[in-house]
Amino acid sequence: MQRTPRRRGPLLLPRKAKRPAAVLRRRILVIVPVISRSAGTDRPVSSHREQANFQMLTSSSLFSGTRRRLLAALFATSLSAFAGLPAADLAHAETRQGGDIVFLIDSLGDTWIPNNSAISSFQGHIWGHVTDKLVYVDAEGKVSPWIAERWEQNPTATEFTLHLKSGVTFSDGTPVDAAAVVANLDIWYAGRKAEGINPIGLFPKTYDHAEALDPVTVKVTFKKPTLGFIPTLGYHGSILISPKTLVQPASTQADLGKTAGSGPFVVASWKEGDYVKLVKRKDYNWGPPAVGQTGPANLDSITYKLVSEQSLRVAAVQSGQADVAYNPSPQELKSLKEEGFTVATPRYLGFVDGLALNTKVAPYDDIKVRQALQAGINRQEIIDTVYTPDWKLATSFIQSNVPGATDHSALLAYDPAKAEKLLDEAGWVKGADGVRVKDGKPLSLTLHANPYLATAKAIDELLAQQLGKLGWKVDIRAYDVVTFGEKVRYGSPTVPAYEVSRSFIDAGTVAGILTNANNGENWFALDERDTKLNTLRDQIAGAGSVEARAPLLDELQAYLLSQAYFVPRTQMVQRIYVQSPSLKGETYNGLALASYYTASKVD
Amino acid sequence: MTYVLSATQTSSRLGAVIRIPPGVILAFAIIALVIGWSIAPGLFTGFDPAVGVPAQKLLGPSLDHWFGTDHLGRDLYARVVHGTASSVSSAFIAVAIGLFAGGLIGLAAGFLGGWTDIVLARLVDILLAIPRFLLAVIIVTALGFHTLNAAVATGIWEVAVFARVMRAEVIKTRQATFVEAAFLAGGSRWHILLRHVLPNASRSVLPLAVLHFGLSILVIAGLAFLGYGDPPPASDWGLLIATGKNYLKWPWLVYAPALVTIATVLSVNRISRWLRKTD
Amino acid sequence: MRHAYLSFAGKRLAQAAVVILLAYVFTFIVVSILPGDPVTNVLRNPQNGFSEEEIQSIIAAQGLDRPVLVQLWSSLSSFLTGDLGLSLRSSRPVTTMIAEVLPSTLTLATSALTVALTLAVLIAYGTQFLPKRWGQGLLRGFPSLFLSVPSFVIGLVLIHVFGFKLGLFRVIEPDSAWATFFAAVALGIPVSARIAEVLIANLDQEARQEYAAVARSRGLGQAALFFRHLVKPSLLPVVTVVALSFGELLGDSLITEAVFGRNGVGSLVQRSVATQDLPVLQAVVSLAAAVFVLVNLLADLVYPLLDPRVTLIGPARQSPTKAVETAAPGAAA
Repeated sequence: MQRTPRRRGPLLLPRKAKRPAAVLRRRILVIVPVISRSAGTDRPVSSHREQANFQMLTSSSLFSGTRRRLLAALFATSLSAFAGLPAADLAHAETRQGGDIVFLIDSLGDTWIPNNSAISSFQGHIWGHVTDKLVYVDAEGKVSPWIAERWEQNPTATEFTLHLKSGVTFSDGTPVDAAAVVANLDIWYAGRKAEGINPIGLFPKTYDHAEALDPVTVKVTFKKPTLGFIPTLGYHGSILISPKTLVQPASTQADLGKTAGSGPFVVASWKEGDYVKLVKRKDYNWGPPAVGQTGPANLDSITYKLVSEQSLRVAAVQSGQADVAYNPSPQELKSLKEEGFTVATPRYLGFVDGLALNTKVAPYDDIKVRQALQAGINRQEIIDTVYTPDWKLATSFIQSNVPGATDHSALLAYDPAKAEKLLDEAGWVKGADGVRVKDGKPLSLTLHANPYLATAKAIDELLAQQLGKLGWKVDIRAYDVVTFGEKVRYGSPTVPAYEVSRSFIDAGTVAGILTNANNGENWFALDERDTKLNTLRDQIAGAGSVEARAPLLDELQAYLLSQAYFVPRTQMVQRIYVQSPSLKGETYNGLALASYYTASKVD
Repeated sequence: MTYVLSATQTSSRLGAVIRIPPGVILAFAIIALVIGWSIAPGLFTGFDPAVGVPAQKLLGPSLDHWFGTDHLGRDLYARVVHGTASSVSSAFIAVAIGLFAGGLIGLAAGFLGGWTDIVLARLVDILLAIPRFLLAVIIVTALGFHTLNAAVATGIWEVAVFARVMRAEVIKTRQATFVEAAFLAGGSRWHILLRHVLPNASRSVLPLAVLHFGLSILVIAGLAFLGYGDPPPASDWGLLIATGKNYLKWPWLVYAPALVTIATVLSVNRISRWLRKTD
Repeated sequence: MRHAYLSFAGKRLAQAAVVILLAYVFTFIVVSILPGDPVTNVLRNPQNGFSEEEIQSIIAAQGLDRPVLVQLWSSLSSFLTGDLGLSLRSSRPVTTMIAEVLPSTLTLATSALTVALTLAVLIAYGTQFLPKRWGQGLLRGFPSLFLSVPSFVIGLVLIHVFGFKLGLFRVIEPDSAWATFFAAVALGIPVSARIAEVLIANLDQEARQEYAAVARSRGLGQAALFFRHLVKPSLLPVVTVVALSFGELLGDSLITEAVFGRNGVGSLVQRSVATQDLPVLQAVVSLAAAVFVLVNLLADLVYPLLDPRVTLIGPARQSPTKAVETAAPGAAA
């Protein structure tokens, strides 16, 4: 980590110490970029995080009461900056310490074997507090140092060298050293399948081996160029677990209480299907600089409590019995906001919520029918009916916060007249009952409600209404997660449209998923039939820099949407949070998971 | 008080049939309405149960929308009315499965006796030993989440109940003097079965069937509540209550379908009790 | 008589063991029909991005693609040695998982039974004292009403009135005393109806008996008659109904636990069914069957000791349980 504050500290100090307290608030804003730059980022901080930091600092200043104390605190702050302490600690010194929060969650998932549960939308919350990652990926997809302080790669991107922070330990006392990182990389890649420990799905399959060069240096070798490796380390399953835990059999790893991570919290107690209680780890001192704090957490404890009834979770937060409710009904957000509750609808980096059409199933082999579907969906009505203005219209098939996403709203405009015209041209004639028919077959669309998205059924019902007016006969099927996984797959003859929910590491990997080349998932059942898509895919994979790749990605987005292979619905918000106004300063990472490491209670 | 009771007991059967208590008349009226809803829902409401006006979502009960509107602006009364057929017919299927399969098993076990009885009785014991909801949840998962499958799952448990009662009744009737007499007189087994045993046994099984019809409505609603029912936009009563519980700020979404369910089951139970008494 | 009793007890015990074992096999068969694999839930999460080949290789590595009969045999042989195995979903020992949730469900079921008995006794004995016209009609209507209200509706109403409106309990602490009480009320109300029905039927029947008429002719008042002569005989059949209801309570706790957010056997079943966690389901079903069979066995064995009028030797070998059923068909439901 670069110690930039050492240079900037003195610059700041004289100016600050002289300012009257009355303008302190504005001054606090000035600190923010300093903190962020000290994290070694070279881009200006995101407005989102800036706001979070600002909230955190202002709320703590409100708490601290008198101006004199404020001034003193600020003075101390500047002093310590001068002394060369990590700037992040400054914010920490000022934030209210202590406090316990209760987070109400709809599920605590299936298993606690780290490899099998890290990507879960539920267990992921706990792992995010109990473990650290090698790098940090923020809500805008920006990668910054964490346990890995810096890294290098060879020109062909087949060898990477990671330089680790020293002095980091797992909660069982084992050091987080090169050997521990190698053990983690190995199990992420291979798992132990016979025992039921799965590999990490998104870990590069091109991994060859890793070796510890010295206690703080790891060299990782790949069989093929793997540019996505570093971002992968900040994602999903890439959580660092103590090697002592990793050698345990699956049945021991499944006991959350016996697993040791290096995160700012440790598991105090837990009960399956009930709760997990985390308590602060007092000697934690290696947080990701990008969140503006590296020392111990402010809160004493976080309890994740399972309350499966959606309405009960919200009502408990409303009545002050809990601090955060996960996945409330979007319908309630407006009134919750009016009551003063904090509502967060962070977007993960990934695909938007939409339909991947199966081009092998009639009539979706006909581009006119696909385009009619693209034009026949009133996306604004989805947001107005099912969601709130917190949701954003899709501008492409990838979320607009993904680096490389471009705006193609024009291709997604609602135009029922155009849709009717396209269907007429394609030979679909409206019958007496309003359903269009061609060759004796009705114009049908079967939607399989995405079990990973709570609002999927409601959206499908609305789509059925919208498309029904144009002459579609829409059937909705709703399965549980297991049946869905079994029956609903890309390219299956019974699945004309697959409802996508998927986050990804890097927009560059998108093109590879879409066709069946290189173990791709062949989303549109195109196989290798669309040569233009194949060319774009290969060009993107071979692009040498982000700049060279950008126009290609833009072209890919325009092409997929105009061919209407992918029919976006809205931008995806898979995780919604309702939070008591007394809890402030949480951060959301690129997976839209909330971290309360930086949060504090103000009451 | 006891004298009054015994007075009712001794009143002639004919009198009991003619004098239908007002409660029972009301129950029949409610059931008639429910049957009407399930046969011709279009006659009772002009609203479409699946298509709503999104702008009119979550309106309270009013003259336009008797039960209010749901989260997609659909008329809740229309949804209740159109959901009746599925709610009622699924309970009917469950009871039919239980009545026929269970009745047959019970008849065979009771009438044939011996090894048939022993094997069938064990089968029934297993089904009875597994709690109803546990059994139904497992079976409905095996068959797939559908109201029809929930009905089948409920029916399988009913099989055990009907088999048990049928068997007991058959045994009781078989030992009755008039049946013994028929045997002695050289009547054929089939003749005795159809002529004497079945009519006598069915007299106590039929009120049970009516009672279990109401019960099945509740069990299937419970399964729908747990999420083992039809996919949207189906509007089975249990499904409506389950969806409504997510919008408790708008309580009519729970109370309207709940009250309809309660009124229906209550009427069915009332009729069942009346049938048992007049019998 | 004593010999007959012992042989009756031995036979019923053997029957009980057979039923439990068959329940285990039955569950295996039903769950094996389910499409899909138990590990699918974890593996097919789209966030994983596993390819189909990878998924199949993991399934094969765990032996989940072996023939059904081979799997049944290995599962049955370990069941007979008392080993319930590891959960396919969480990889934890099934015994640990059940031990974690069992106390909560047992607490709920016994509280519900207490509530049900109290309510039933109040209603049934109330019918003997209230003035006939409105009071009795009202009380006699209760069981019917109780049987017509879905327990999840009762639960939802209780939560909103007592949890949120009156703030008697915190909804997120479902194991607190008040929360358990209201959950027990929701679960116990339908059961109280069945008990009350049987109680009322028996009280009416006993009141019509000759000895009651004789006692009355001797000038015994209603209260004295009731307490001296009617209470004890009317309680006997209740033993059987309670035994029958206990299994039902375990099953219905599935819904009540879902409504109140309790973490018990019911919620474990729901999680396990959703992920086809065969070892857990088999264990729970066998356990429930065992509880049901044993409680009923106990009732059957206790019954003849309590009531000398019941004999065990008869042509139909009818157990008292069945006798109650024929008397009041609703009781078994």
